[in-house]
Amino acid sequence: MSRATELPAMLLRGAVRTYQWTLRPVIGCNCRFEPSCSHYAIEALSTHGAWRGALLAGGRILRCNPWHPGGYDPVPQARPRPAAGQPVPKG
Amino acid sequence: MDQKRLFAAIAISIGILLVFNYLSPPTQQARQRQEQTQQQAAATGQPAPTPGPTGPLGAPTDASPAAGAPTSEAQRLPIEGPRVRGTLSLRGARLDDLVLLDYRETVAPDSPLVRLLAPRSGGAPYYAQWGWTAADGRTRVPGNDTDWQAEGGPLSPDHPVTLRWDNGQGQVFEIEVKLDANFMFTAEQRVRNNGAEPVKVLPWTRVRRDRTPPVQGYYLLHEGFVGVLGGRLTEHTFSNVRDEANKRGGPALDQESAGGWAGFTDKYWLTALMPTDQAQTLRAAFRFIQEGQGPTGERWQVDFATPQPQEVAAGGSAVLGTRLFAGAKEVRLLTHYRDTLGIPDFDKAVDFGWFYFLTKPFFYALDWLYHLFGNFGIAILVFTLLVKLAFFPLANKAYKSMSRMKLLAPKMQEVRERYKDDPAKMQAEMMALYKTEKINPASGCLPILIQMPVFFALYKVLFVTIEMRHAPFFGWIHDLSAPDPTNLFTLFGLIPWDPPHMLHMPLWAIIMGCTMWLQQKLNPQPPDPVQARIFQFMPIIFTFMLASFPAGLVIYWSWNNLLSIGQQWLIMRRDRLAQKARTGGQTPKAIAATPKPNRG
Repeated sequence: MSRATELPAMLLRGAVRTYQWTLRPVIGCNCRFEPSCSHYAIEALSTHGAWRGALLAGGRILRCNPWHPGGYDPVPQARPRPAAGQPVPKG
Repeated sequence: MDQKRLFAAIAISIGILLVFNYLSPPTQQARQRQEQTQQQAAATGQPAPTPGPTGPLGAPTDASPAAGAPTSEAQRLPIEGPRVRGTLSLRGARLDDLVLLDYRETVAPDSPLVRLLAPRSGGAPYYAQWGWTAADGRTRVPGNDTDWQAEGGPLSPDHPVTLRWDNGQGQVFEIEVKLDANFMFTAEQRVRNNGAEPVKVLPWTRVRRDRTPPVQGYYLLHEGFVGVLGGRLTEHTFSNVRDEANKRGGPALDQESAGGWAGFTDKYWLTALMPTDQAQTLRAAFRFIQEGQGPTGERWQVDFATPQPQEVAAGGSAVLGTRLFAGAKEVRLLTHYRDTLGIPDFDKAVDFGWFYFLTKPFFYALDWLYHLFGNFGIAILVFTLLVKLAFFPLANKAYKSMSRMKLLAPKMQEVRERYKDDPAKMQAEMMALYKTEKINPASGCLPILIQMPVFFALYKVLFVTIEMRHAPFFGWIHDLSAPDPTNLFTLFGLIPWDPPHMLHMPLWAIIMGCTMWLQQKLNPQPPDPVQARIFQFMPIIFTFMLASFPAGLVIYWSWNNLLSIGQQWLIMRRDRLAQKARTGGQTPKAIAATPKPNRG
């Protein structure tokens, strides 16, 4: 995906990776989801670019609280250009 | 290669090593040595260098007047404030001798008082000075070797002192110095022109350090140039100012500012200049000047001057009023000056950081508890407990499900068995199980994100405020702001040897490491095996990292871990009892089928 190579998304992914290797071991893994918020952020930034990826990751962190059951919550798939709005079958 | 170059190369290499040595965080011994040199500053007779003009018109310089340097001993005006003591050198109108009566260098009751300002003849010159530059190029202005006449004295809150000097050409220069009950000096620089011709002079005031001071070099703590100029907090480290000055070939910062203040900050002490009338616009500059080789030739300066030279008509006079703060960065005092004298953001001389809105109220809470309990260590413990209690509902909700999960262990074991060849599937099934059972092992990322700034802010407050300095705690901790003196490598004093700085492993750091390890045992592990590895090493890394940190911080950290462990244990125990009561003492039976993962 060409959008995945854009610079802001790369920088943001770098920041998340830095967090995973430095801060996370200190504060512990407290995520209620699978994949975890940081992995979710990296994947979201890769498939949806910096802007939408960051929004998705932000929304995920807001959901990640004790009043949400958590569980399996994958990154939504990128919509193909021509068929915008059409549900994409999983495969 | 000729020999000269070789020698130059060797000299530069040694110089670089010396600079590095100078810039690296000093050990306790080095700090004490530095403080001793400051003490002996007046005693040693090292000749002071006389630098040449440093910049454009208006830049206060060290240029001596044409007259030969007088050889007689300089007269000194005594300063006797309630909280400061020292002298003002009447030669050059320099305030270069000031000790703080309320602060001692070490916890020993007979240790020397903290010296803030020291003369040029010593090893660590640090002084404030008031002067003028001749803007018309012909007016004779007072210089570094001018002997001023003092009226009155000693200088005290009840007795302001006026210094006077007649240049013999019709102009009379006066500096009226006042001192308040704490650390604030006020100076009014006046020129009276009794001559027939108008004169043009540029009045200035400066704080100068003729050596690079040792800095603690922590990321969390700003030391160096500081000020609020044009309404903005400006902080520059020494190396920052050096780079900028070299790049520009002039002052590292040169800014006109309406009101504001600027000076040098150490961890606990501050010298700062500011216009008395905060509506007045002055020109502030941060300077670095290299005189000679290596760190001993480094000169640092903060100065204020009027933006334009003052034109003094025949028979007229001109005035510049400035203040000089020289003392300890006590939060309440700085805030008091901010409010009564209208000095913008003066309390930010204490490096409260980005989380000012949290750190400042935390400081007041800690200070209040300190006065309540009479011990700063206890205040830290109580305040941490209160913060933990405030977050208890969040943690309670999370830990509850965490402990319930332990009761679901048989079910989870079954899932693990079934999908042991497909880890991704296993993870998904596990999450689905959490969802149907309305449990989840983790508190979530949001609560952590909310709590982090709070605990960071508390940590920062403890790091930067002077109130923890020389504050005792129980046992062997006599100074919460100093590293814990005990050491594992001397078996806590049983082996009489002096291990190198690297081998310092105090008891409190070990306690911290153990509590951190215990707490990690109770927390979920990272799914990635490499990260799980790092995770396990963290307590060891932190034990070593915190070994040389102020004891108060290590105690705070240990206590925080301990409270987390206790809270978790309490909830788990309560939950287990409740569960037992419900199931009649039997463990829940494993369910036959796990539900399909819900992808909603």
